[in-house]
Amino acid sequence: MFTLSAEGQELVKKELTRYETPYSAIIPALYRVQKENGWVPEDAVLHLSQLMNLPASHINEVLHFYTMFNKKPVGKLHIQVCTNVSCAMNGGRELADALCKRFNVKYDEVSADRKITISRVECLGSCDTAPMMQVNDRYLENLTPELAIKKITEMGG
Amino acid sequence: MPKLKINGKDVEVPAGATIIQAYKASGQDICHYCWHPGLSVAGVCRLCMVQVEGIPKLQIACNTEAKDGMVVNNNSEMVKETVKWGLDFHLINHPLDCPICDQAGECGLQDQYMQFGAYDPEMAEQKVKKSKVVDLGPTVVLDSERCILCSRCTRFCDEVTKTSELGIFNRGDHSEIGIVEGKPLNNNYTLNTVDICPVGALTSKDFRFRQRVWYLKEADSICPGCSTGCNVKVHYNEEGLWRVKPRVNPDVNGHWMCDVGRNTYKYVNIKNRLLAGKVGRRDSWMEMSPNDATRTAGMRLKDVVDKHGPESVALVLTGQYTNEEYKDLLVYFVTGLKLKNIFHWVNNPEKLNDFDGLLFRGDRNPNTKGLEAALKLAGSKGRWEDLQAGLNGKKIKAVVVAGPEDQSVYPDMNEKVALFAQADNLVWFTACPSDALNGSGAETWQIPVKTHAEKAGTFTNFQGKEQKFPLATTIVPQALTLSEAAEVLAGKELNWALRPKSLGGAKNNYATTERGAL
Repeated sequence: MFTLSAEGQELVKKELTRYETPYSAIIPALYRVQKENGWVPEDAVLHLSQLMNLPASHINEVLHFYTMFNKKPVGKLHIQVCTNVSCAMNGGRELADALCKRFNVKYDEVSADRKITISRVECLGSCDTAPMMQVNDRYLENLTPELAIKKITEMGG
Repeated sequence: MPKLKINGKDVEVPAGATIIQAYKASGQDICHYCWHPGLSVAGVCRLCMVQVEGIPKLQIACNTEAKDGMVVNNNSEMVKETVKWGLDFHLINHPLDCPICDQAGECGLQDQYMQFGAYDPEMAEQKVKKSKVVDLGPTVVLDSERCILCSRCTRFCDEVTKTSELGIFNRGDHSEIGIVEGKPLNNNYTLNTVDICPVGALTSKDFRFRQRVWYLKEADSICPGCSTGCNVKVHYNEEGLWRVKPRVNPDVNGHWMCDVGRNTYKYVNIKNRLLAGKVGRRDSWMEMSPNDATRTAGMRLKDVVDKHGPESVALVLTGQYTNEEYKDLLVYFVTGLKLKNIFHWVNNPEKLNDFDGLLFRGDRNPNTKGLEAALKLAGSKGRWEDLQAGLNGKKIKAVVVAGPEDQSVYPDMNEKVALFAQADNLVWFTACPSDALNGSGAETWQIPVKTHAEKAGTFTNFQGKEQKFPLATTIVPQALTLSEAAEVLAGKELNWALRPKSLGGAKNNYATTERGAL
């Protein structure tokens, strides 16, 4: 079964005391799992359920509500290309396709070298710099396919 | 207490009540799904729309408090139109598989659509396909497509059983009820989720695909599963009982009943019943009608009393029969035969006071309190040690037992048969055949009796509350009630004209033994 590191467990315990209801600590707890593991495996829900003393079903509800939690393994670089209105009008979809072609990976799958996963996502709130994408925690903006590929390669992709 | 006008009718409701409760109190129809009187308010189905004078927008009745002087209606064009469209939205992804749906005939969606629906739907979108068979646990199956996400079942698991097995996963039209892997829906109250499901999404593994509900008749009854005495309805046809559902009684069981109680229809059905009287002993049995078996047993008992006195006969009673039966039986034995040896067989004394906090009690007899009262009235001081001593010392020559209806709750059956069979004569009234009895070494009368569903009577529950129930149906017409048996034992003739007839050839209900699986 997946278990959080000692620090992770410490953090979750602390989060539990921060809010009026322990249910509010579910999102930070799941984020911690994703940070440690890259994605949230099914049995992490059972682990958190024990750790936080909350029903597993309610943790699972939160996990499955938000697409920001990865329910399957992702590569070391999780590239989320915005294809919402502004980005789409400025070539976001073409950008995403070009990245898939260059790194030889299909959407939402992990590349053979385990380094890259490319997803198309909805608005990331950076419409003025379209097209843009998010690589792990970083925003990369005003992109062209060439620029995006260059930055990803710099980041180790 | 606020007074308000509902569709022109004056209603008074308790302070804090909601408008939907006022509707129920005034006996008027209001369309709703997610609201359930036994659960918290969710306000997710948006169908109980009402127009409140002075408020420009429509309100949901389930989450709006009834205030003094309110003027409310749900029959204006605006409300009707809104509800109609609300229902249509509910049906966007609901499959039209009523012909193969178990809920058909008692479905909230069908009923409400007939009454409030649009009839000419304008939804041309493709329906979202979801899984049609999701195994949630040992008792319940989910059809995700049919679910309208009213959240009654998840609220039930959160609020009533507090086990929280169910959740709503994903978002929008991908939302589905589900369980977390490795945590199945497995508690003693799961089938209540099937009852409160307003559509055919949750169905009972035990009942699904067995009967069309409109072919079943229903009768009020009391659950014989434990001393709580939940008020129930039994659903039956000419093949016997098919299911048990709870009936609302705020004083006893509220809206719910347990899964153990729902299984009590099984032993009642003909396949599990003792059909004829059996007289004899180990390996050599003679079948005769229950009436004849009882008469011969009565003659033997009289002989024993004449020869050895009333101390030589013992009467052993279980808490599984009605107050009326105890009375009639004790009248014969106490005033007729002058018996003093009357004993109360307690099946599992160590669990007698167990209680799961909701409904289910460790005393698996529906009428322990009634039996205690009857014994007190008869002046019985029978102590179990006396019975044992009397049997060991061969002082007791005959034992009469009104045995358990449902033997599965009597774990000490074998032990007790061995004990009682130390007497020369054993008269055993039982609804179901027993392997232990078939091995009895004493001269034994096995006499079939009626189950709770086949007789009218009264059970006194753990609170001391007397609950009357009517005869539901007759499955084994030749079986006797203990009252009838007392008459026959005394040598009287039964009034055959008054005996219940079977409701038409009770057949072997194959499904009784083959149910409970997916």
